[in-house]
Amino acid sequence: MKKIFSNEYFLFIARIVIAFVFIYAGAEKISDPKSFSQAIYNYRLFPSEIINLFAITIPWLELIAGILLLFGICVKENSAIIGTLLIIFIILIVISLIRGLDINCGCFGKGSPIGWRKIGENLLMLIFCLALVAFDSVKFSLTINK
Amino acid sequence: MDKKKILYIIFFSIIIGFTYNFLNPNGIPLIREERKLNFAEDDAVNLDSSLTFQNIPDILPNKNDFSEKDNKKENDSLINHSTKSKSSITVPFTKPLAIKIDKAYQLYKQGVKFIDARMPEEYTEGHIKGAINIPFDGDESYRNILNSFSKDEILVTYCSGTECDLSILLGEELFEKGFKRVYIFFGGWNDWVERNYPISKGKE
Repeated sequence: MKKIFSNEYFLFIARIVIAFVFIYAGAEKISDPKSFSQAIYNYRLFPSEIINLFAITIPWLELIAGILLLFGICVKENSAIIGTLLIIFIILIVISLIRGLDINCGCFGKGSPIGWRKIGENLLMLIFCLALVAFDSVKFSLTINK
Repeated sequence: MDKKKILYIIFFSIIIGFTYNFLNPNGIPLIREERKLNFAEDDAVNLDSSLTFQNIPDILPNKNDFSEKDNKKENDSLINHSTKSKSSITVPFTKPLAIKIDKAYQLYKQGVKFIDARMPEEYTEGHIKGAINIPFDGDESYRNILNSFSKDEILVTYCSGTECDLSILLGEELFEKGFKRVYIFFGGWNDWVERNYPISKGKE
């Protein structure tokens, strides 16, 4: 098991996949902050005073972490950031599913209602992130150090 | 792993986020404006608009199946409110208005078009009789039917109940597309079924 996760090609692919997913997710939300703010609101878990602060900053965190991952810069750190975001997303979706909310997840703009499939996708990416945090990925990376 | 780097990345993201939002013409306010689905106030507005609706018959959809008599009766009963509302008669909607089951049914009887914003599967399982399905998350092709509607037509959007947002999102989208009289039926499908109001199943 450890062999698979520490395989440099596996790590490289995981890195690229997560990078593209988060670049796309971040860019999509940046292009339409209103919808994202609404999506957060729909979870009915946050006071309205702080919703827009999340809506303004989280997409950029996703985008920047994604870009840095793509180029292999600070892979461990960015994987940790994205992993944390993923854990938060999973928790939010699970809570909403248990509460029976019929809402859009706000993951990639329109067209992605919450569901167990979303949790599955997020879990898979979370596993990738954990592997990256544990083993790093230096293949085709811009950083020369180490 | 260097925690300092993590903090740097988060810090820069936050700075860039706020800067971009500040410079972006489509930026959002730092503190979210509460969505005003305020019924007490809105209901009064709804009353006004129904008056407007009844006083200007030429904006009515042609295929209405309600009788003139019903219409008159309702008009009479509403006239009591007209003193206050006359001034606001010409005021157009500034945003889609939320309505509850009673008002929704009243509009339904008047033959107003209902739009089901849920997914096609849910629509097929059962929907308000005569409602059109435009799934908010669905294909753009569902929206083609909108081209055949007059922008002055009254539209009512709904989804499963009070906990869903599709009706609100679709309502706002329609409003932005230029439909001037969009209502969001807040109770949605659940309230409708509870009252045993007319429903139908299947694709039509």
